[in-house]
Amino acid sequence: MFTLLKLELEKLFRARSFYLSFIVLIGFVVLMLWGFYTYAARKTGGEAVEQFKYTYESKQYFNGLTFALYSLLFSFTLLLPIFVSMSAGSQIASEARSGTLRMICTRPISRASLILSKFMVTALHAGLLLTFFIGLNLIVGLIFVGWGNLELYPGPLNLVDAPGKIMRDDALMRFGYAALSGTWALLVIAALALLCSVIFDSPVQATVMTIAAYLTLYIVGRVEFFEHLRPYFFTTDMEFWRDVFKPEIPWQNLWHYACVCGAYTAGLLLATVLIFERKDIVT
Amino acid sequence: MWVKLILLILFCLMIAGAVHFAKPRESEERSSSSNSSGSVRLLTWNIGYAELEDDTRAHDKDLPAVAELIRRESPDAVALQELTGKAQLNTLLKLLNGEYRGAVAQQGRGDRFEAVLVKDTGATFTPVPVGERYALAASFRSHSEIVLISAHADAFNASRRRAYTEALMDWVETRAQSATVFIAGDFNFELKAANETNLYTDNLKHDSESYSHILRSFRDLGRTAGDTAINDRRIDYIFGPTQSGNVGRVAVLRDAAVGRMDHWPLLVEARF
Repeated sequence: MFTLLKLELEKLFRARSFYLSFIVLIGFVVLMLWGFYTYAARKTGGEAVEQFKYTYESKQYFNGLTFALYSLLFSFTLLLPIFVSMSAGSQIASEARSGTLRMICTRPISRASLILSKFMVTALHAGLLLTFFIGLNLIVGLIFVGWGNLELYPGPLNLVDAPGKIMRDDALMRFGYAALSGTWALLVIAALALLCSVIFDSPVQATVMTIAAYLTLYIVGRVEFFEHLRPYFFTTDMEFWRDVFKPEIPWQNLWHYACVCGAYTAGLLLATVLIFERKDIVT
Repeated sequence: MWVKLILLILFCLMIAGAVHFAKPRESEERSSSSNSSGSVRLLTWNIGYAELEDDTRAHDKDLPAVAELIRRESPDAVALQELTGKAQLNTLLKLLNGEYRGAVAQQGRGDRFEAVLVKDTGATFTPVPVGERYALAASFRSHSEIVLISAHADAFNASRRRAYTEALMDWVETRAQSATVFIAGDFNFELKAANETNLYTDNLKHDSESYSHILRSFRDLGRTAGDTAINDRRIDYIFGPTQSGNVGRVAVLRDAAVGRMDHWPLLVEARF
């Protein structure tokens, strides 16, 4: 198992797509910084108070922690799942496409161990991506925007239903929690992509199918017609990771959804193993 | 084999964990004891109809049901929205057998009126100009002087709601120095945290600013009661002083709507 893991890690660190995912995230942070900077300048300038007397969008509100939070929340929904799908979707399918899967399966290792090691490497990739992204946002936020407390208001980001505040040190800790809870949520996507990777022989097909399933449920969940179906979508359960940014973390709720996501991940992995063990590898 | 076994055990453990941590159903009505000096029972209700109707204002045929609910719940004061005018108020007062006094707001830009009914016979009513519209304030005594404002912010434009809220709060801040002020009504703020979305829209921002502006000096007393209108919307509010003590009964009376009403009454027992 450890040899398998070592081999899979080597493959991961040699893949260009691994580094590409980090480069794209850097690009996103630059874009966010530009957007945040110009928005903050506009909202704290004279024009902002011309129409309305009251606003909470003050210079104190726009700080590095707010920047990191916005950047993280905006990217988590669409950007990070794409990279996780790419990473997991190519694990088995790309081996099948290149013809190496047959050779690997002739070695004295169980197919289940192969799946597990590939999943663990994908999980590591997801964790590294998220941790890197959070760290980068905090550093960029500190250097270019400055630090303060994290102020939260109902409405935008939909984190709270009453105005609240998280003090700076506590907020930094919350970003640490978010790296863990976010990675755990992303594992559902990773497990789904791995299943698709076993079912389809093309990595592109596996990735596209995973992203399509994710986006379909995500979008359908936001259409009011399907509001009653929303609790049954895994995309809804995945949103538990954001709870760590609430002034009072709803621990019970957080553990509940973390377990639901864990059940999805374990269930999908089990299905992947069962299908892969019965799969006739002809490539 | 052991991998499958571990995954199966993990799957079962996660299911068990999810069941164990599942949130118990929250009761919509909460009561608590309080050692505060006074309490007041307030009700707000937009008695108009849903958008699909020809006339979305209150309908005369529904007034007996409105009066029946008021009699049953016996609030100290009632804030109503979307009345067609003084005639409907008079009908309602008659149906309440003179137990309440009331007034409607002045006509503003729209074709509908806010109203306040108060049990106290010494109550006085003051129009509150808020931009092109009028809210209505009733001043009455219950242990100390209380002011209840019936307000109705624009349903279609978040920017106008924000301007309305600011104007209302300017008026309220002057009155709050000499009396205990409650603001009740249909504000149309779309701020439900459960509607998770990462889209940062101007409308959401305006509603967020409006709501936060009110919460700088007031407390959202009906926050725990749930949706107040169809389509799972919580758009009717009763705001009270931040220093108010424990809130007694808080409830959305979902069996009260008749005809094609799209709102339910919100009842709050505030202690201060």
